[in-house]
Amino acid sequence: MTIDQRSAPAAAQRATARRILPPPVTGQEIVLVGVIAVLWILLGLFTPAFLSPSSIQPLLVSVAPVALIGVGMTFIIITAGIDVSVAGAIMLCAVITAKSLVDSNLPLLPAVGLSIAVGLALGMLNGVLTAYGRVHAIIITFGTANVFQFLALRVFGSSTVNGIPSTFDVFGRGEAGRTLGIPHSFAITVLVVAAGWWYLRHTAGGRHLFAIGGNANAARLAGIKVQPRVMMAYGLTGALVGLASCFFIASGTSTLDQAVGSGQELAVIAATVIGGTSILGGRGSVIGTLLGAVLVQTVTSGVTQLGWPTQLANLFVGIFIIVAVGTDLLRERARRKA
Amino acid sequence: MTITSDGPAVSPHNTPRGPAPKSRGFFSLVLEALVTQRIVLLGVLIVLVLIIMSVLDGMGMLSGAFNADYLAAALINLVPLAMLGLAQLLVILSGLGGIDLSVGSMVSLTGVIFGFAYGIWGWEFFPALMLAILAGAACGAINGSLVSYVGFPPLIATLATYYAFRSIALVISNQKPVNSIEIQNFYSAAQAIELPLIGGSLPLVPLGIFTFLIPCVIVVWLLLNKTGFGQRVYALGTNNVAAIWSGINVKTNRMAVYVLSGVISGLVAVVTVAQFASARPDAGTSGNGMALPSITIAVLGGVAIMGGIGRVSGIVLATLLIVWVNAGILLAFPGNDGTQFQLLALGLVLILASLLNGLTKRKYGGI
Repeated sequence: MTIDQRSAPAAAQRATARRILPPPVTGQEIVLVGVIAVLWILLGLFTPAFLSPSSIQPLLVSVAPVALIGVGMTFIIITAGIDVSVAGAIMLCAVITAKSLVDSNLPLLPAVGLSIAVGLALGMLNGVLTAYGRVHAIIITFGTANVFQFLALRVFGSSTVNGIPSTFDVFGRGEAGRTLGIPHSFAITVLVVAAGWWYLRHTAGGRHLFAIGGNANAARLAGIKVQPRVMMAYGLTGALVGLASCFFIASGTSTLDQAVGSGQELAVIAATVIGGTSILGGRGSVIGTLLGAVLVQTVTSGVTQLGWPTQLANLFVGIFIIVAVGTDLLRERARRKA
Repeated sequence: MTITSDGPAVSPHNTPRGPAPKSRGFFSLVLEALVTQRIVLLGVLIVLVLIIMSVLDGMGMLSGAFNADYLAAALINLVPLAMLGLAQLLVILSGLGGIDLSVGSMVSLTGVIFGFAYGIWGWEFFPALMLAILAGAACGAINGSLVSYVGFPPLIATLATYYAFRSIALVISNQKPVNSIEIQNFYSAAQAIELPLIGGSLPLVPLGIFTFLIPCVIVVWLLLNKTGFGQRVYALGTNNVAAIWSGINVKTNRMAVYVLSGVISGLVAVVTVAQFASARPDAGTSGNGMALPSITIAVLGGVAIMGGIGRVSGIVLATLLIVWVNAGILLAFPGNDGTQFQLLALGLVLILASLLNGLTKRKYGGI
């Protein structure tokens, strides 16, 4: 069952011979690779320090959490949903994990497990409400965003969490966070992206997500269990938020303040749509999301290194969203006409 | 509505939707009114909130007096919220996933522009106000042309402009608020006043209610209910294809809705400048921003997120409910706790309201 049937009759003829698969790399991804390459070369020319390991490594570390959550967000948006509660969920996962690190000095794996479990629970809550409440996802997740933020602030207790032990340094910016010069958090993210790519492209469950986003009613009539699939997408995002929260804790100092996660929901959505995932559902790729996250972080870090006002980065993010989605719209229009 | 209508006799009122009512109890009718008539539900909820808070006040569990003066003073928060709720109403009504995430950024940007004109360049008030409105309209026109002429999904277009406008506001103001002496004196536009004639026996009401909110409510109500434009907006949101085939200029009308949202944001910017006595470049985007509360109010006010359904009265009552609940929470949980519980209340109200919208649709076939 595929959605992306550019030449339906021809594909149908070949269907008996072999499985029909969308191309492994989409046009949007090739364009993004080109744009990122051009940006890196330009930045390298203007600020020679940009293309050095000491500049690229922090860039990759900051890409990691956005791209990681972006994998889940891509799954959700492919099903024609959206999750704007990410920032609140990060805040709650991070503060619970940080508190338990401080209070009971958890070792690395149980701490990561705890964070993922909390995130999974929050994601499942979104999933249940969205899948079974039959309410548009943006409304539900706006609501849960507030509730998560409230819970997180209660756990914070109107002060920062101080004296976090260095358990998470393996995910951090420092020397402990790298093997052979590659940041661990980025490596984990690439692995998750690869798994997500394989799942979306090569398994029935992944193709079901595309079918649901294309037409949920048709998908149900075709025998797909729509609600469990949708719920799973939100649960996955929650679990990835949990993992990413560990990266956020690691990227700070030994203090966690209440601004953690703030604005990340829009950053993740921006990375996802820049990566070519259609907000209307039924189309998208996790590799694009990773590239989108790299592009957004490149712009942010480039603006800083050029000595421009930091706030200008958001203007470029907005422009990139418009350009990326705009070219995608034009391509789609041309495809329809053809 | 008749309370008992036995048998299949022709009922005096036509109920086209839902199962044919046979003999129905009083409670099921009340329940249907509560669930299907959002105005009724909001009215009941507002009364409930007032009763609960008064009881708590009587038991001495509040940190301040919950009386008419306090309620009237809380109305100062009603002005920007209700106006942005109306902006969301217009945009969401137009359908095709219409939503405006950029209202907060537009408030920030036009507020800074107004601050420059009024506070630094020394413009008179009305030219400066016109400039703010024009700037808002220009921002809205960008959203509108992206959505209606280029075909962007509204969520994406306004997400992009949310980033862009917010960034421009911070960059042109150099991240510093404009609070020259003119702007500080402008606070008089937001102060509470005594109503003429009957005002002596009533609490002081914030001036913005009369100068900004009520005119805005009347204009939007007239637009939606008494003009062809309003009918076309409902038509767009109900069925876009049908609207095209009935000869409506879909693109122009949809664009106009976003421009109006920008204009209202420009007016809100002037209101917030007056309230803060300072043109802050993050006025509409700090914290959770203004977009989220305005969308919450639209949903709570019974606006269907898919478009075509929604009323001005729902928006006003929903805002009133939120504002008074928030005011009550501040008394019940003083200090930092209060703002935290406001988040909880906003979130729960939004989730419950949207679940209720979904339930209503299934059980009674629409709001």
